[in-house]
Amino acid sequence: MIKRAHRVGSELTVVGQPQRKIEGLAKSTGRAIYTDDLTLPGMLHGKILRSPHPHARIVSIDTTAAEALEGVHAVVTGRDMPITYGIIPWTPDEFPLCVDRVRYIGDGVAAVAAVDEDTAIRALAEIRVEYEELPPFLDPFDSLAADGSTPWIHQPKKEGRNGNITKHVHLEFGDVDGLMDGSDVVVEGEYHFEGTTHTPIEPHCAIGLFESGGGPGGKLTVWSATQVPHYLHRELARVLEIDPARVRVVQPLVGGAFGGKSEPFDLEFCVAKLSMKAGRPVKILYTREEVFYAHRGRHPFHMRYRTGCRADGRLRSVDARIVLDGGAYASFGLVTTYYSGQLLCAPYAMPAYRFDSTRVYTNKPACGPKRGHGSVQPRFAFEVQMDKLAERVGLDPIDMRRLNFIGEHTRTVNDLRVTSNGFLECLDAVERSSDWREKFRKMPFGQGIGVAGSTYISGTNYPIYPNDMPQSAVQMQIDRSGRVAVFSGASEIGQGCDSLVAYIACEELGVPLDHVRVLRGDTDFTPVDLGAYSSRVTFMLGNAAIDAARKLRKMVCEAVAADWEVKPSEVLLAGGRALWAPDTARQMTVREAFNLAEARFGTLGATGWYDTPKDVHGEYRGGTIGASPAYSFTAHVAEVEVDVETGFVDVKKIWIAHDCGRALNPVLVEGQMEGSAYMGFAEAIMEEHVFKDAEHGRGGLHNAPSLLDYRIPTSLDTPELESLIVESIDPEGPYGAKEAGEGPLHPSIPAIANAIYDAVGVRLDRLPFSPPAVWRALEAAASSGGARKPAAPGTVEVTAPRP
Amino acid sequence: MAHRAVTTSMPMPRATDVVRLRVNGDLYEVGVPAHYTLLEALRYELLLTGSKQGCDKGDCGACTVIIDGRATLSCLTPVHEAEERDVVTVEGLASADGPHPLQDEFDLKGAAQCGFCTPGILCSAAALLARTPDPSRDEIREALAGNLCRCTGYTKIFEAVEGAAARLRVE
Amino acid sequence: MLRLPEYRYHQPRALAEALSLLVEHQGDVMPVAGGTDLIPNMKHRLFEPGHLVALKRVEELKGIHEENGHLRLGATETLTDVAESRVVRGCFPALAEAAGHVAGPQLRNMATIGGNLCLETRCTYYNQTAFWRQALGYCLKKDGSICHVTKVGRKCVAAHSADTPPVLAVLDAVAVLEGPQGRREVPVGDFFVADGIANTRREPGELVTEIRVPLGPRTRRAAYAKLRQRNSIDFPLLTVAVSADMDRDLTVHELKGVVTGLGARPRELAGWSEIARGHVLDDDLIDALAERALAQCHPLENMIVDPEWRRAMVPVYIRKALRRLF
Repeated sequence: MIKRAHRVGSELTVVGQPQRKIEGLAKSTGRAIYTDDLTLPGMLHGKILRSPHPHARIVSIDTTAAEALEGVHAVVTGRDMPITYGIIPWTPDEFPLCVDRVRYIGDGVAAVAAVDEDTAIRALAEIRVEYEELPPFLDPFDSLAADGSTPWIHQPKKEGRNGNITKHVHLEFGDVDGLMDGSDVVVEGEYHFEGTTHTPIEPHCAIGLFESGGGPGGKLTVWSATQVPHYLHRELARVLEIDPARVRVVQPLVGGAFGGKSEPFDLEFCVAKLSMKAGRPVKILYTREEVFYAHRGRHPFHMRYRTGCRADGRLRSVDARIVLDGGAYASFGLVTTYYSGQLLCAPYAMPAYRFDSTRVYTNKPACGPKRGHGSVQPRFAFEVQMDKLAERVGLDPIDMRRLNFIGEHTRTVNDLRVTSNGFLECLDAVERSSDWREKFRKMPFGQGIGVAGSTYISGTNYPIYPNDMPQSAVQMQIDRSGRVAVFSGASEIGQGCDSLVAYIACEELGVPLDHVRVLRGDTDFTPVDLGAYSSRVTFMLGNAAIDAARKLRKMVCEAVAADWEVKPSEVLLAGGRALWAPDTARQMTVREAFNLAEARFGTLGATGWYDTPKDVHGEYRGGTIGASPAYSFTAHVAEVEVDVETGFVDVKKIWIAHDCGRALNPVLVEGQMEGSAYMGFAEAIMEEHVFKDAEHGRGGLHNAPSLLDYRIPTSLDTPELESLIVESIDPEGPYGAKEAGEGPLHPSIPAIANAIYDAVGVRLDRLPFSPPAVWRALEAAASSGGARKPAAPGTVEVTAPRP
Repeated sequence: MAHRAVTTSMPMPRATDVVRLRVNGDLYEVGVPAHYTLLEALRYELLLTGSKQGCDKGDCGACTVIIDGRATLSCLTPVHEAEERDVVTVEGLASADGPHPLQDEFDLKGAAQCGFCTPGILCSAAALLARTPDPSRDEIREALAGNLCRCTGYTKIFEAVEGAAARLRVE
Repeated sequence: MLRLPEYRYHQPRALAEALSLLVEHQGDVMPVAGGTDLIPNMKHRLFEPGHLVALKRVEELKGIHEENGHLRLGATETLTDVAESRVVRGCFPALAEAAGHVAGPQLRNMATIGGNLCLETRCTYYNQTAFWRQALGYCLKKDGSICHVTKVGRKCVAAHSADTPPVLAVLDAVAVLEGPQGRREVPVGDFFVADGIANTRREPGELVTEIRVPLGPRTRRAAYAKLRQRNSIDFPLLTVAVSADMDRDLTVHELKGVVTGLGARPRELAGWSEIARGHVLDDDLIDALAERALAQCHPLENMIVDPEWRRAMVPVYIRKALRRLF
């Protein structure tokens, strides 16, 4: 069933083959343990009191009545944890609970721990908070235009600055204005990407256990559905002022994350502090409504693009202005602001590029990183711009993209090093599989097909906090039973990284999959991995695992070679056996081989690690952000049918071609490709994370914090998805692998936008393409002559508007 | 907690009922708060934590169990409503011989990524296959239309259900 | 987790017992059947009754069968049972279709036809958690004094959002109610009132026990069309039910149409039979009927989906439904 559009042969025996996941059966039999599945002896239940105001000063908090309630064991407020935190070390602007200011409806104010949830809920109602309401900023342009006559959302770092601005980035590469003026065709467009949120099916959950006594200080353990145990570990220690050596973070299995669990949240600090106060373990499980308030989802982007090309279709100059609506806190916003521009410079060569991006605060839940962090929005705009340009110059849009291909082993205009690049093979694959040539501009009115391409990072070149230590590491040990134990600190969030290290152990040490144990998710016994974000895990963890496994293999092969009196290089480990390459009839079990090795070298263990190369980016300020050891490439073709009467866009099928370097387990790679394309489709057609304005009930109130009203697609809504794996074999990736979890989301949205245009000749530059929005666009077209099929390429004269 | 101030408010008037639940073939007699849902009783009293809570209120399907042969949302079922009925959860699909073919196929086909929606989807799928041994792709889509999955895009789930149906027909 | 408020759960086996429980706990009791509407509403603290009287074990409320010239639907038959019932599919395919398109599969396995008839009205300012409504400042329907939809007046405009009542109405179905004052029958077409706070004629102590759909010698033909954004789970944004008494050549004797998803009660479209009687149901007539419907339907901002679009969809879905009559 696995379709490899482009495949490279290899000697590998495990890697590249469909395999089970090591926790697959635990998940399908209900044995898998997630955070809320844990109950500790004497455990209390916590609840967080949240602000009903979008922007207000906290005048006073009175918790005495709550504390007096039978069954209540602890109450905490912001004053108990008055140290700011933030995932980005330069922008710590959040308290675990608000100290004197609330900044969105849902901001945490106080927390209680009680014998059960009902008592905790009752206790919240007994907490008296007096607020002084402040004028809220709900529109990013209002935030931007603010003059300080009403309180800023955050105090400006310097007097006279706009405290509503998180970050402004202006970067320019090449002669943007000159090459724009010299372009034969310039297309200008305004685009709006509505915010969306991750919506993992598992709500956030955390349990805190503080064990005092037995020495000064005590020990804190926090179990959490987080995708960044290491950063949580650091922030818990810093904010709660506990020596990090006495803090332990345990990560049970995580029920989906998509970036929504990639920084510390109020509940993790609260369970810790409540446990410290109560002397008992405390669990907090978010309601679904609270998940929407925690958010950190995709930023709404207001984007303006000017793109110029020559009459032959070659790109000349790209100019972007972007305003990011960041919500109440910085979160990853500094990075998001850079990513909004930095990640656009492949897979097309652009001689000149400028972006000017400003992230502003608003009194709404904070935005952050969602799958395809910061680059899904500009990719939508840019790939629609490409479609518009292709039409203007009379090129087929796939040919337009081929023409501008940046190539492999090259540098982008913003000086990012690109290594392997299978983008052309991706284009070939979707063109062929979708029957593009027979369909583009040739289907009946109402039916259409569209293409888009993209690139994404395989991890960030630098960790979030500056340090020179490895980005990922594993420890591996083998024992007399023939078993391999891998200690991995990487974050299994469903993508399969625990299985990945097991596959690598099998490949390198020759053991069957069920002889590998992956011991995971516990900062007490696993080496540091920085977390599941920025598509870093396969590349970095994979390389670390190979490093450890090969150290062990070397010892095993040496021991076997000594026993056989042959050269170590002639010993193979595969299929549960050690074999002599010149005559594979000569063999022993790997257990026997491991015993020989242990006898020769003592107890067998090895650590392996990975750190990024440091010469892969430019030397300008911000040049490191967006830099990655390798980039994935994707092309999608989407086919749609537009119901012109209702505005419903039926996405029939999406063909997804993705250059993942090498598919270490093609089943899991396909799963990432399909899941990504699904999520992009959902953002294109359905999802909008929006808020009421003052005209609708109350400004800043979440429009629909439930899975009923925040619509994500059901099995009946999701299009047919066809995965086409492209393997470019990256020189630095583990067995050549790159990422697959985020890249394949990007092109879904512009491919659908371009397909709608092919179907009805109407451009949709605002997301989502919900039925009302499409209906309105079609109505507007009807009043200006009517929607109709656009002309086929080659039938339009290109006029050069040279000045 | 020893050092806490003397409480002043009234203790909670909490009604607790003893309910008899038949779950996965076993009869349990368990004392629960009278306002518990079946999901809460399963997860927090019987420690059958396979059934998940995702949306609080019947919108996502993660809590789906099979009651008298029908896929049912345990988060909207008052615990008493499950008395005298036959409840099957994801833990009850496997037998002593091994996992149910659906469970095995979900693993083989990569149909469970994060796995959080999986127990509910398996219950919907098992209820479907009990009534419709050879479902079409459209029938599978319909039967799973109350179970939200955020990871897979559903494709691998459909393939796994088809694979299990084929295996069950052979058995 | 969003918790239920505390309550005592009563499970009577007989109708008389159920009715007497409702009397006994009057003012602090609600009946519950499938619970798919009430339980979320209780989790939202929209209702906090101290007692729930469960109806699913009451024998008299079960059964789907023909009886004295009508089809009797016991009130606690599930929507799945109604949708899959051979007799319903045979006699009233539009009813089976409407029941089979409510929410999602598990909901239909639990929810009942009686419950769907009595479904609480819905509004974006109402079907929210206690916290959300507190931040809003509450609304007219619950704990507040302002309607955020109309911003004026004392009238709640929460929307009737159920799928089967419009079909039942155009089929001239009758709801049978029993209560302390005895038994009465109310045509489904008259069952609803234009008050979003309490939009049915059911008295608090009364129960809908069954629904009777007349089986004529010449059974009325009906059709149904539903607008929603997802193909499952969602409540309808608009439903249209139509029925016609027609000759074989499609000459209309009588025509009925009911639209929901607007205000608190399903709207029976006025003037349709006058336009249609004696004419053949062709495209021109369908267009005229759709135009007539549009003039009467004004969706409000009681749902989060663009009311102008929903209004524009009225004639589109009227036409869809009418074409299904052929």
